[in-house]
Amino acid sequence: TDGASWADDDWQEAHERLAELEDKAVAKGDGGGEEQDLLGDPEDALAERLTRLVIDSELEDPAIMRAVQTRGPVQHPGGLNSSIWDSSAVLQRIRGPLLAQEMPSVSVLDYALPQRPPQPREEERDPSERALPRRSSSPVIGSPPVRAVPIGTPPKQPAVPNFTQQILCPKPVHIRAPMQQRYPAPYGDRMSPNQLCNVPNSSLLGHPFPPSVSPVLTHLQRAQLLGGAQAGRMSPSQFARVSGLVGSPLPSVNPKLLQGRVGQMMPPASGFRAFFGAPPAPPPPPSQPQHPPGPGPHLQNLRPQPQIFRPDTTHLHPQHRRLLHQRQQQNRNQHRSLNGSVGDRGGHRSSHQEQMRKDPYANLMLQREKDWVSKIQMMQLQSTDPYLDDYYYQNYFQKLEKLSAAEEVQGDGPKKERTKLITPQVAKLEHTYKPVQFEGSLGKLTVSSVNNPRKMIDAVVTSRSEDDETKEKQVRDKRRQTLVTIEKTYSLLLDVEDYERRYLLSLEGERPALMGERKQKICEMYDNLRGKVPGHERPSDDHFMQIMCIRKGKRLVARILPFLSPEQAADVLLATARNLPFLIKKDAQDEVLPCLLRPFSHVLYHLPLGTVTTLVQQLTNLPQSGAANPHLAAVLQNKFGLSLLFLVLSRGEELQSSEANTELIQDNPWTELMLLATRELLRIPQAALAKPVSTPSNLLSLFSRYVDQQKLNLLETKL
Amino acid sequence: ISAVPDPLSLSAEKHLVLLRDGRTLIGFLRSIDQFANLVLHQTVERIHVGKKYGDIPRGIFVVRGENVVLLGEIDLEKESDTPLQQVSIEEILEEQRVELQAKQESEKLKVQALKERGLSVPRADTLDEY
Repeated sequence: TDGASWADDDWQEAHERLAELEDKAVAKGDGGGEEQDLLGDPEDALAERLTRLVIDSELEDPAIMRAVQTRGPVQHPGGLNSSIWDSSAVLQRIRGPLLAQEMPSVSVLDYALPQRPPQPREEERDPSERALPRRSSSPVIGSPPVRAVPIGTPPKQPAVPNFTQQILCPKPVHIRAPMQQRYPAPYGDRMSPNQLCNVPNSSLLGHPFPPSVSPVLTHLQRAQLLGGAQAGRMSPSQFARVSGLVGSPLPSVNPKLLQGRVGQMMPPASGFRAFFGAPPAPPPPPSQPQHPPGPGPHLQNLRPQPQIFRPDTTHLHPQHRRLLHQRQQQNRNQHRSLNGSVGDRGGHRSSHQEQMRKDPYANLMLQREKDWVSKIQMMQLQSTDPYLDDYYYQNYFQKLEKLSAAEEVQGDGPKKERTKLITPQVAKLEHTYKPVQFEGSLGKLTVSSVNNPRKMIDAVVTSRSEDDETKEKQVRDKRRQTLVTIEKTYSLLLDVEDYERRYLLSLEGERPALMGERKQKICEMYDNLRGKVPGHERPSDDHFMQIMCIRKGKRLVARILPFLSPEQAADVLLATARNLPFLIKKDAQDEVLPCLLRPFSHVLYHLPLGTVTTLVQQLTNLPQSGAANPHLAAVLQNKFGLSLLFLVLSRGEELQSSEANTELIQDNPWTELMLLATRELLRIPQAALAKPVSTPSNLLSLFSRYVDQQKLNLLETKL
Repeated sequence: ISAVPDPLSLSAEKHLVLLRDGRTLIGFLRSIDQFANLVLHQTVERIHVGKKYGDIPRGIFVVRGENVVLLGEIDLEKESDTPLQQVSIEEILEEQRVELQAKQESEKLKVQALKERGLSVPRADTLDEY
């Protein structure tokens, strides 16, 4: 929020200023009202700044504006879809009457703003009835503004003693009538006028409505009411008429009360179905058994109506959009109905007095303030790149859409619009910041603000020499560096994974560039993985091992593998195989290695026999002199190791069997390895063997080449 | 049946607020701002232990937005038909204390058992990674 400088002033000064203003305004006949200078009424200035704060040109998203409920449609010349939102002049004009009424207890304003249009917005009359002390409408830094009525003035109406008791025992404040229905939507948001009259909107009017009373409207009246509502806009006169009609048959009930009540209710909305598709209406309150059949068929006739689609709100999910419109509808109708008592203000006031009596704190927040907050909330929904900002939502609803599309293809039902669930992007606007310039000043002021921050501290990064640090610190730093590398590589990976989508969205000319970028990023990733070494050789696996020791690093490698070229992938595989026992030891707690199996198997599929042989060599650490082979033992005892070994062996077997030239078998290093490997396998006790993820089927045939039947059986049992 | 709850309508309905430290507050929501700072009137802190609950009247609460987990309107019809049983404040506080103690005991035993087996659950703050 902005810090208004005037608020720092002493309240006395503000008071004096107000007094001046009063004199000035009485003197001038004509228009100072529109120009708000800083010395003007503090509330106005603040309000103006508030409005300016929010109403920027970039924020003229009609969706946001629709969230704001004070801008009722009756106000504007063009109707909802006009471009009035663009002109601040109009908005100021609208804002005017609001302000005039928010300061009821300060009569100064009535003088200060003489030519405010005669208040068309009756709903803001409520504040005039509140005798609650005036509040500032937003957080004010500094002293509160002057109050004409000092704080702590009790409300005009005598407080109901019932209420004060309830401060201590916070039970629900209102005595509720037996049928409790707020905003009932039994007929899909449309209510029969009878029901309207009967439903106690208990939150606002706590008066217990005698359940026995059920006003009867003639068909004509009902038709009028519904007919009026059909257009979606209840004209005030219509409502007043209906209210009058409603009032008459009930001599026992205070007609004014009823009018007020009717005003509070939700008159039939125009064709918006209730949230979640209006399931079959819940039964109307039991006290009016005779009414449901009446309005029912009537409403059915009126039901098919074109939905007033607000195309601007398509970036919202349809459910959210419905919510939004429902809310607006409710509030608008509330306001409108309050408008409706043009000819009968007295009645309205009394009903509001009732409301105040029951709950004097109910309207602490002005509608304007609520709109402000909801506007901010809506602003947050604007997005320049929905895939970036709201990835999971987008993907989830894409999946849903695909599902429903698939179903539709089978079902042959009506074609729904497919574009419903796509969030349109708000165009990214370039903002060039222009520093504040004052006219008539000499030179430029250096004003430091959010857009133009001033450097406060000169921070210089100094790296310490190696000698100073202890061994522990070095280790920690190295680990941290690895973590940073992993994170950087991850961002690259996410980018690369996203290229497919971008490719589809981009233009023809841009595509080669995109591909180039993608390739480059892949190379970068690989370099990150293996450690950038200037020479051709990659002498040490150290860097790679560091990454593989960390859980996230292993997952990263698994995700990167599909993007690497076969040679690079093979390189990674070999490095893993070479150091497998070490990795196994490190993985004891995390147990993440098996996630690598699938990408490894994909890679294996493309490898030639020579590589596979080397791989086996690395894995098993054969040939080796000496009886013990801890490397192989470790591999065999680990689930991942064993599974990998099997995969490799199976691949080798595939290659062997597919090769036409069988003479090579003799000289093949593969064969030698196999012989050794089988010997080892035989030697190891069965209990020590781990359980592999999957045992490839051709292993037996593999081994059958190299061992005789007896041993084969033995192997079989082991595996 | 009920309309779509809209905290910004600020109807004088009771609201339930869940805070980050696990407290449940029930009161009339009077004011809200863009940070979800809340002003609650006639607030009651409700403590739940098992099937019992107890209400402590607290008065007016101003809650800083970052501590709010969720906020919802209370449907007053449904409020009355719960299987939960309301008890006095002293009783519920006692129950809470007992529950807390039991939890601490079991936690201690668990850590002990793990230690004996040579395992350890690393403390969250010593982990560098996610």
